[in-house]
Amino acid sequence: MKIVVFIQQIVSTQVKLQGVDYFDASRVSVDDLVINPTGKNAIEGALKLKDSQGAEVTAVCVRGNKPNKALKEAVAMGCTNAIEITDEAFYTDDPYLLAKIYAKALDKIGEYDLILLGVEEQSSSSYAAPAMLAEMLNIPSVLCAEEMETINQGFKVGHVLEGGKKVVAIPQKALISCSDSQYFIPRYTTMRGILAAKKAVIPIWSATDLGLEISEISADAASLKQISLSNIVIEKETFLIKEGEPEEMVDKLLAKLKEDEVKLGA
Amino acid sequence: MKTLVFIQIRDGKIEENTLGILNKIKTSIDGAKIIGAFLGKDLKDEWIQELGLHGVQQVVTVDAPELEFYLSATYTRAMMEIINQINPRFVVAAGTVYGEDLIPRLAVRNASSCAQRIVDLTIEGDSLHFHTPVRDDQAMRVTQVVGDIIFATSRPGAFFIDENPSGANPEITSVSVTFEDADKLVKHIEIKKAERTVNLKDAKVIVAAGRGVAGKENFQIIRELADLLGGQIGATRACTDVHWVEETYEIGQTGQSISPDLYIAAGISGAPQHMSGVKAKTLIVINTDEGAPIINYADYAIIGDMHVILPILKEKLK
Repeated sequence: MKIVVFIQQIVSTQVKLQGVDYFDASRVSVDDLVINPTGKNAIEGALKLKDSQGAEVTAVCVRGNKPNKALKEAVAMGCTNAIEITDEAFYTDDPYLLAKIYAKALDKIGEYDLILLGVEEQSSSSYAAPAMLAEMLNIPSVLCAEEMETINQGFKVGHVLEGGKKVVAIPQKALISCSDSQYFIPRYTTMRGILAAKKAVIPIWSATDLGLEISEISADAASLKQISLSNIVIEKETFLIKEGEPEEMVDKLLAKLKEDEVKLGA
Repeated sequence: MKTLVFIQIRDGKIEENTLGILNKIKTSIDGAKIIGAFLGKDLKDEWIQELGLHGVQQVVTVDAPELEFYLSATYTRAMMEIINQINPRFVVAAGTVYGEDLIPRLAVRNASSCAQRIVDLTIEGDSLHFHTPVRDDQAMRVTQVVGDIIFATSRPGAFFIDENPSGANPEITSVSVTFEDADKLVKHIEIKKAERTVNLKDAKVIVAAGRGVAGKENFQIIRELADLLGGQIGATRACTDVHWVEETYEIGQTGQSISPDLYIAAGISGAPQHMSGVKAKTLIVINTDEGAPIINYADYAIIGDMHVILPILKEKLK
């Protein structure tokens, strides 16, 4: 089975960049970059299939203007191959353009059976990309998967639903977006994987390599146009207790609650 | 502006975020013609009347056995049929799991993109501006969709329902759709409804935990504290997914919505999917991560380990 996993390289949530600063590439160092969390969940889904029935897993990342760390980590986790897609012209804040780049990458990859992605991205731009990609490729898909098992020529997939869970059967040639459920909790990298990642030669494809014109994938081509980006100021004042022994902290909290006449109890 | 709203049903009723969108459009877009796209099997008259009450002027129905359960391909085909006949300027759905699946597909069919999870829409000149919180709700991105048809989804919990709706009965148009074998590649097996044996909606005090609780056994302290305060326990989907606690206690977009006087949230990061179901008068947070989004919503926060803090809190409250 040939599996393609699309991941993204994002700024770690551990990085203390508030609001719009997060989107300012010049404030971000390479050390702050990680695989998007649900992209890692998707890698785990692929590696589970690789473990159980053998599969070639290719991780693909469309990178921004920083060196690619995410793909090395993907190989260290156990992915067979990695492909980096880079072009100064790429505008990936529009999920339609991102899905278009993904679709072109798949054209160039050639044969594949299953496509896995993470459900959601922090920047919010790629929430729609999985559904858009499935539609562009005209292949069946399941979004927000929580668990999957192999059945006759396909998969049985349980996905998130308001008020419960829905279970569907899907053919093997399909697209699945993976949630951060227990089933997809990612494995750690191994020493063997890290060595493999060091040796791995990761090809870099440009827009031209994918047969894309700059005018098709640059900001001008986007139908989702950003008008502004600003910090959300929450006017709520938080009484923050971050210093002291645990007991002192609790005392401080209770004293303040008493002072504010907050009723504890129904 | 001709506005087509994807109508969703949940638990035998019109889904509340869909009603929220209807109210938002009614109050924000002057002269909007609101058309409901209502797909399913055995659609009930009472639903159609309720849509009229909430301001839908025309309901376009596709009533077919193939639409008994949501499947991407059948629903996309039926919606495209409606779009082609109605020719709307704006197409919008509540950002439920289904809405977030459907709208991007329709956008692709129209060679366009979509705005997602909007919490507000404003009119600037003759264009719609969409407001979407990003980066764990720390920043607001305002966007515009360029194209003949504008597509968007709303964030669950973003819009209020009109409590005193007074619309008239809508015009009803029925559309028939021919489905193809290719639409049936994904097969519905079952819907496992989460058992909602405990109603958290009316609870005055809720003590809840997230992934940070790190194990089933650790829910004991959550239960003890809730008992002591005469409240209920709650959890994020991460906890119910791994059966650390029964699924009835799930709070958030895919669980129950709550509005307690006091909400104690321990080891909960505050992802939008969780927070969209929380409206608490007083929020007390216990979390090791000062950067967790939930801190922004907290009235009181202790930056510390819940496993250490909660037992002390319990003893002192006794």
